[in-house]
Amino acid sequence: MIDKRLLRLPGVQQVMIGLAILTVLQAVVIILQGHFLALGIVHSWAQKALVSLWPFIWGFAGAFAARQVLTWGRNRLAENFARRLADKIQQRLIKQLYALGPQAVAHAGTGNAVTMALDGIIEVQQYLELILNKLLNMGIIPWFIVGYIFWENHLAGIALVIMFPVIILFMIILGYAARDKSQQQYAGFQQMSNHFIDSLRGLKTLQLMGISKAYADNVYAVSERYRKQTMGVLQIAMLSSFAMDFFATLSIAVVAVFLGIDLLHGSVSLYPGMVCLILAPEYFMPIREFGNDYHATLNGKNALAAILDLLDQPAPQLRQALPAYTGWQSDSTLTVSALNYQYADRTGIKDAAFTISGDMNVALIGASGSGKSTLLNLLGGFLQPQSGTPFVVDGQPVADLNDQAWQAHLSYIPQHPYVFADTIANNVRFYRPEADDAAVAQALQAAGLTDWVATLADGVNTRIGEGGRGISGGQAQRIALARTLIDQKRSVWLFDEPTAHLDIETEAALKNTMTPLFAGRLVIMATHRLHWLQQMDLVLVLDQGQIVAAGAPAELAAHSTAYQALVAQMRGEFDV
Amino acid sequence: MFKHDQWVRPDLKRYRGLLFCSLALGVLTFICAGALMFTSGYLIDFSARMPLFAAIYVPVVLTRAFGIGRPVFQYLERLVSHNWVLRITSHMRRKLYQVLEKDAAFIQERYQTGDVLGLLADDIGHIQNLYLRTLFPTVVATILTVIASLAIGWFDWGFALWMALLLLVQLLVVPAWGLWVEAKRKTAQKAMTHDAYVELTDSVLGLSDWVIAQKEPAFLTQATHSWAKLAASTHKSARFTQFRDLISQLAFGVIPVALLIWTSLTWTGTQTAANWVGAFVLVIFPLDQAFSNIAKGVGEWPTYRDSLKHLNAMQPTTRLLPAQQAIPHTFDTLTVAQLSFQYTPEAQRLLTDISFTIHRGEKIALLGPSGMGKTTLLQLVLGDLTPTSGQVTIDGVSTLAYQQHRSQLFAVLDQSPFLFNTSIKNNVRLGNEAASDDQVAWALAQVQLSDLIAQLPQGIDTPMAEAGFGFSGGEQQRLALARILLQDAPIVLLDEPTVGLDPITEADLIRTIFTTLQDKTVLWVTHHLQGVARCDQVLFLEDGRLTMADTPAHLAAANTRYQHLYALDAGK
Repeated sequence: MIDKRLLRLPGVQQVMIGLAILTVLQAVVIILQGHFLALGIVHSWAQKALVSLWPFIWGFAGAFAARQVLTWGRNRLAENFARRLADKIQQRLIKQLYALGPQAVAHAGTGNAVTMALDGIIEVQQYLELILNKLLNMGIIPWFIVGYIFWENHLAGIALVIMFPVIILFMIILGYAARDKSQQQYAGFQQMSNHFIDSLRGLKTLQLMGISKAYADNVYAVSERYRKQTMGVLQIAMLSSFAMDFFATLSIAVVAVFLGIDLLHGSVSLYPGMVCLILAPEYFMPIREFGNDYHATLNGKNALAAILDLLDQPAPQLRQALPAYTGWQSDSTLTVSALNYQYADRTGIKDAAFTISGDMNVALIGASGSGKSTLLNLLGGFLQPQSGTPFVVDGQPVADLNDQAWQAHLSYIPQHPYVFADTIANNVRFYRPEADDAAVAQALQAAGLTDWVATLADGVNTRIGEGGRGISGGQAQRIALARTLIDQKRSVWLFDEPTAHLDIETEAALKNTMTPLFAGRLVIMATHRLHWLQQMDLVLVLDQGQIVAAGAPAELAAHSTAYQALVAQMRGEFDV
Repeated sequence: MFKHDQWVRPDLKRYRGLLFCSLALGVLTFICAGALMFTSGYLIDFSARMPLFAAIYVPVVLTRAFGIGRPVFQYLERLVSHNWVLRITSHMRRKLYQVLEKDAAFIQERYQTGDVLGLLADDIGHIQNLYLRTLFPTVVATILTVIASLAIGWFDWGFALWMALLLLVQLLVVPAWGLWVEAKRKTAQKAMTHDAYVELTDSVLGLSDWVIAQKEPAFLTQATHSWAKLAASTHKSARFTQFRDLISQLAFGVIPVALLIWTSLTWTGTQTAANWVGAFVLVIFPLDQAFSNIAKGVGEWPTYRDSLKHLNAMQPTTRLLPAQQAIPHTFDTLTVAQLSFQYTPEAQRLLTDISFTIHRGEKIALLGPSGMGKTTLLQLVLGDLTPTSGQVTIDGVSTLAYQQHRSQLFAVLDQSPFLFNTSIKNNVRLGNEAASDDQVAWALAQVQLSDLIAQLPQGIDTPMAEAGFGFSGGEQQRLALARILLQDAPIVLLDEPTVGLDPITEADLIRTIFTTLQDKTVLWVTHHLQGVARCDQVLFLEDGRLTMADTPAHLAAANTRYQHLYALDAGK
C-alpha cells in the first residue's frame, strides 16, 4: 500500500504532522457531535420540552459544522501539498529525462515517458492527497472514538476493538485471494480488453480478407467472454469490501443488541447506550473509506514507484573536458581507439579504432543491427562508453563525447527528424532563436524549401508538426537541414539513414541538395543506400559491432572481401 | 441536443430486468442501512424503558437482519450493475465496430492520426462510467428521496415537504451549481491537457535536438508551459470541489437538526411515542452516502457529453454501387481506361486520364514520388473509390460490380500489414478461415518462415504478443504474405510492402514475393527500383499522369531518366 520512499519525499513529514493535529481535532469534534446528539435524543426521549433541548441542538450543530470545516481544511492542506510536491516531482522528472538523453529515453519508450510525466503525475497527486488523509484517519480517529466508547461502556468498547483486527484479517485474506485470481486472469484480461482496439485497428485487413462483416459477432463474443471473466474476478474482489461492510454493520447491530440488553437489565442508562450507538459507525468509517479507495490509489502508487525508479537512475554528466575545442576545423582530428559499448543484452560496439580528420565524409555501413547507429550515437555523445578513454579530440583525450563544447558544434539528423509543433520559421530557428528572417530564408533556400514555402498561404509562418500542416518525409529532412544550416558553427554533421525511407526520385532530389552542403564540414553518415558511397572519403564496414574494413570506397571495392560481400548482398536484385 | 441519440437511449431498454434489479438493490442497500440505525435507535430507546425481554425480541432480530442485509444488498448491487454495464458494453462495442466497418477502407486515413480509434474505445469507457457513477446513483438517490418524503408524510405532510426540500438541495441544487461553475473550466482543461501533451511530446521526441542545442532551461519551460496552466486550473477546480462539498455537508447537517426539533415537537406526547425519537433522528446519517457522490458524478457530465457527441457524430458514408455480380472463375485483362479522380469537384485533381492494361499473370510496377496518387490509383482499382470519370474493368465489367465478394478477386499487401494479437496460426488463417493446419504450414513454408516458427516455444500456436518482439519488419511482411497465399485471389496489389526495410531484407522479400506470386497478376506500387527488372511493365506516375510506360528492358536501354534513377538506386 505504501512505498517507503513516500515518507522520504520532501515535506511529507511536516505536512503529516499538520494533518495529524487537524485529525486529532476532528476526532474530538466527532465525539462532541455524538455526545450532543445523544444528549438531545435522551432529553427528547425523557419528554423534555424543546426549550431545554436547544443547548444540545446548538452543540450538535456546532460540532457538526466544526467537523465539516476541519475536513475542508485538511483536504485543502493535503491538496496544496500534493499539488506542490507533484509539481516538484514533475520538474525533477523532466530534468532527469533531459539528463538521461534521447537514447535512454527512447529505450524506455517515448510514449511511456510522456504518459509518466503527465498522467503519471496526476495519479501521483491524487495518490498523495488520498493516502495521507486516509492513513491518518485510520491511524487516529477510530482509537479516540473507541476510547470514548470504552469509557462509557466497557463491553461495547471491547466488542468494537475485537472487530477491528477481524476486519483487517478478512480484508487481507480476501485481498490476496482476489489478487491471485486477478493475476491468474490478468494476461487473458489484457488480451481481451485490447482485442477490441485491435479489431478496430485491423479493420482494413479484415475487410481486405472479406471477413469484416462476419467479424462483428466475434467482437461481441469476445466482449461477452471478457464480461464473464471480469464478473468472476469481481465476485471475489468485491468480497473484501463486502466482508468489511458486513463486519462493520454487524458489529453495530451487535453493539446495539448488547446495549439494549444492558439497558433492559437497568445496568446502564440511556446516554451511554445512545452515544455508543451513534459513534459505532464513525469508528468503522475510516477503515471502510480506506478499503474503498484502496483500488483507486493503486495506479498512483505504481506511477509513483515508476517515477522514483526513473529518478534513481544515474544520469550521465555533461562534460566540459574540451575547453580548447571551438568547433571542427579543416585541421581537426578525432582519433578513436579501443572503443567499446555494451548493451544490457548484447554487444553494441567492440574494439573500434579509426581516425577522422578535416572535412572528411565518412560512411558507416553494415547489415541491420551491425552497430551503425550505436557508433553514431557514441560519436554524438548520446551514448557513453562504459570504460576507458577511447576518444582524442584535437589531442585532448576524453572518456565520452557527452561534452558541452563537442555537442555545441554538431548536428544530428535521424531518419525521421522531429518536427516541432510550431511554425516553419521557428522550426528552422531552433538552434538560434535570435536568427532574423533573412537568415531563415537563406537556410530554407539552401535546404531547397523555398519553392514549397512559396506555395503556402502563410509562408514561413505556416504551422507544421502535431496539429499543423502535414509534411512529407523528404520535407522533414529538408527542415532538419535548414535547422542545421542556420547555425554555422555546427560543422560536424551526423546522419542516421537520411534517405532510406524516401522514394527514389525524392531521394535523388534531396541528395542533389545535400551533397554541395557537405563541403567544409565533417559528415558522418550511417546508411545502407549505396549511392552515398561515391561521396565518401572513408567507409567503415561494421559487422556485429566490429569494424571489419575501413578505407576509401575504391580501395575497399578492390581489396576488401567483407566490403564486396556486403555490397553484393545490398545490391540484391540489381545484380540479377 | 440528444434527441437523436443512438448510444444511450436504445441500450437503456436492453436487459431491463437486470437494470431494474440493480437499481432496486441499490435502493434496498440504503433502506437497510437506514433501517439498521432506525431499529437500533428504537431498540435502545425502548430498552431504556426496561420492558420485558420478549418485547425487544423483534427489534433485536430486525437489527441483525438489517445489519446483514446492507452489505449483502450492496455486494449484489455492485455485481448486478457491473454485469449490466458490461453486457451493454458488448453491444456498444459491436455497434461501434459495425459503424466503422462501413468505412473500413479509409479507416487509416480517417482515424489513425492521434489514435482516434483508441479515443473512440475510451468513449465507450466513458459511457460505462456515465451509467455506473452518475446515472445509477442519481436514480437511487431520487427514489430514496421519494421514499423518505412519503414515509415522513405518513405522519406529517408539512414536515415531509421540508425534508423533501432539504434532500432536493443535495439531489439537485448542489450538483447543478457544481456543473454550472465547473463546465466551462472542464472544457478549458481538456484543451490544456491536449496542449500539455503536444508540448511534452515535442520535448521528448525532439530531445536530441534540445540536447545538442544545449537549451535545458528552455526545454524545462517548454515541457511544463501548458502543464502549469492546467495545474493552476485543476487547482481552482479542486478548491471549488472542496468548497462545494463543505457547503453540501453543512446543508446536510440541517437535516438531523430539523429531525431533532421535529421529533421533540411531535413525538414526545407519550412515552411510547418518545421511544421513536432516536430512531427518527439516527435514520438519516447512513443516507448521507447516497447523496455525497452525486455532485461528483454529475460534474463528469461534460466528459460524457463529449463522448456521446463523438459517437453520435459518426456517420458512415453511403455509396451507390452497381448491381453486384459473382466473381468470374478466370479473367483475361484488367483495364484502366481514361481514369480521372478528384475527391470533390472543388478539390485538386489527383489522377488525370490514366489508361493501361494488365493481362492475366503479368507483373506491373508503378513508380512515382510519394503523395502523387499511387495509393489512390490502387483504391480505384480495388473499387474503394468511385472514379470521377473513366473506369476500371475486368473483362469489360467494372470492379465496382465485384465489391460484395471482392476478397476472392483481389488481395492486398501494404506497407504495414496488421497482425492481430492472437496466435500466428490464426493470423495466417485470416486469409482463409477454412484452411487446415497443413495449409497454414504450407503457406508459412512458402514465405520461408517455417524455420523461424519452429524455434518458437509453441510453434504456430505462439501468440503474436509474445512472438511479435522477435519478428522484424521483413518477417511481419512475410506473415502477411502467407495470409495472402491462403486467400488465393487471382490479382494481388502490392502497396510499397518493402518501405522501411534495409536493402538486404528488401531484396530477400522481393525475391520471395515474386516466387510465391508467380501465377498471380500483380500490380506493384514501389518507391525503389530494386526488383523492378522482374516486371513486365513499368509505369511512372507523376503529378497524377502516367509519364513513362514501357518494359524495364526498353527503359533501361533508351530512357535517360530511368537510367539515372536506376544507377542511383543500384548505388553505382
